[in-house]
Amino acid sequence: MKDKIAVQIDDLTVAYNYKPVLWDIDLAIPEGVLMAIVGPNGAGKSTLIKSILDIIKPIAGSIQIYGKPYKKQRSLVAYVPQKGSVDWDFPTTALDVVMMGTYGSLGWIKRPGQKEKKAALEALEKVGMLAFKNRQISQLSGGQQQRIFLARALVQNAAIYFMDEPFQGVDATTEKAIINILKELRKSGKTVIVVHHDLQTVPEYFDWVTFLNVKKIATGPVKDIFNDDNLTKTYGINYKVSVQQ
Amino acid sequence: MSSAQIEIQLIASLVAIACAIPGTFLVLRKMALITDAISHSILPGIVIGFFITHDLSSPLLIIMAAASGVLTVVLVEFIQKTGLVKEDTAIGLVFPALFSIGIILIAQNANDIHLDIDAVLLGELAFAPFDRLILGRTDVGPKSLWIIGTILLITLGLLFTFFKELKVSTFDAGLASALGLSPVVMHYGLMTVSSITTVGAFDAVGAILVIALMIAPAATAYLLTNDLKKMLVLAVLFGVGSAISGYWFAHALDTSISGSMTTVLGLVFLLVYLFAPNKGLFSVLYRQKQQRIEVSLLTFLLHLGNHQEEKERHVKHLNEHINWQKVRSKSVLDLALKNNMITIDHNIVSLTKKGKNFTTEAIDYIVTNKNSEIEHMKDRFFLFRG
Repeated sequence: MKDKIAVQIDDLTVAYNYKPVLWDIDLAIPEGVLMAIVGPNGAGKSTLIKSILDIIKPIAGSIQIYGKPYKKQRSLVAYVPQKGSVDWDFPTTALDVVMMGTYGSLGWIKRPGQKEKKAALEALEKVGMLAFKNRQISQLSGGQQQRIFLARALVQNAAIYFMDEPFQGVDATTEKAIINILKELRKSGKTVIVVHHDLQTVPEYFDWVTFLNVKKIATGPVKDIFNDDNLTKTYGINYKVSVQQ
Repeated sequence: MSSAQIEIQLIASLVAIACAIPGTFLVLRKMALITDAISHSILPGIVIGFFITHDLSSPLLIIMAAASGVLTVVLVEFIQKTGLVKEDTAIGLVFPALFSIGIILIAQNANDIHLDIDAVLLGELAFAPFDRLILGRTDVGPKSLWIIGTILLITLGLLFTFFKELKVSTFDAGLASALGLSPVVMHYGLMTVSSITTVGAFDAVGAILVIALMIAPAATAYLLTNDLKKMLVLAVLFGVGSAISGYWFAHALDTSISGSMTTVLGLVFLLVYLFAPNKGLFSVLYRQKQQRIEVSLLTFLLHLGNHQEEKERHVKHLNEHINWQKVRSKSVLDLALKNNMITIDHNIVSLTKKGKNFTTEAIDYIVTNKNSEIEHMKDRFFLFRG
């Protein structure tokens, strides 16, 4: 039985220019799940993650990570933003990007040293990118860039991982490699929360799911709630999935 | 060289370094245009500061100017956040408004100040050595040398202290925020430093040419390196080099120093833009041409692999069958021969073992898109790079 709550969200409302994109969300994410957040474009999936990570300020509600506000729990949380959110022409190498994952535990001013470099190299190895450590990041393929981002999150050695569309624009091999790493993380007791688009793979990849469309539609174990009813409520159209469970 | 000449070059060099450092981050943040805005809109700050102190080199002027520089950024972001106009429009709205307030203030009080609009816009480096800083009774050098020197020291101190924070907030503001390394503080810090540097460079090169010193060296360096630290060093070198050679250029032609410096900056950028090893125009064109030939090579090898019959493999038939012009056929044949991928016997082309392997591997790569398998081929062929 999963008792401990990793992320507790109460009455969360987020608005851009007073237009709500998330409306009165209550959500409890249990520890140790591999959870997909699904919903149509503009449903507020990325916004939900960014609010939890204190990147966007909500207009109402509270968010707690293991019972405390995010600001006190930063070290427990790792984040993989959307690949398109950064400029891949930035003058830096794969290794250096992964090293950025250590900046949080270093805090202000302190520089990364040998210990951080070693951790970054290990993370690169885990995602199969060690051979590319000195490659300029614009010289990497989309899948490789996504692996670099994953390595950067791994190096944070967190308890909860948030990932914004990690499978976007990656090839099948990379998708498999990434999901295997995510499953490994769950096995070691971590909580992994993924914004996901491909509904077909939800039952195969995830054990927990949250349906979101400005409001929360449903949340719970995939085997209990991943059904046509919730999909229809979320996507608005009469949804019939041909998903084998 | 007279001591005045040395002092002018020293001031110009320090200005160039102080500009290149924030300039590098502005270029990477795609905020080059904001320097244009800041350089203009610090004018009211300077004028108001001057009204209060009646001293052009008072630190209060720098503080007021920096404040109006930051105000520009705040106003631009405020207008942008309304969602009614885009960023470039917001910039275009804000800085002329602030600049014109400065102009009106100067014009209204023109009688009792010697704040000349030309000097504000273009600066006059040649006069910098005449305005001395006297401590007690000792002459310790030109005032502007001390001003820009102090600004440079602060900039360097901040750069070394917050390099990591600047880097991560420039590359990935979302991550920086999640890690608790406030990108907002970095943003406004950079804006403040840029504003202060602009004021400091003001005497030397004026409000307009300071933009060139911030942007051109960084843009030039960006074309030459893939490493942020090297980019900073190169930007500094380009800035100083252009400043000094610009000075001698002006000396030889007896013309405006700031104008010459900026011209040199532009020329250096043009040269690097054309001839840079990887990102330069010629290098890109060469690569594209090479890539075209290599794609042709692969097409040709594939054709050979698919056809055993001799008439399909005759040199002369290449033009007709693959529909290539003579020159292209020849360069493809030469490339294949040079790499020992084919042999030509009595004008009949045959694949060698190496040629066969290469074709299979290359096709495999193109079909499966598995990068690791062709890593070793990348060094030899452009086809598979980038």
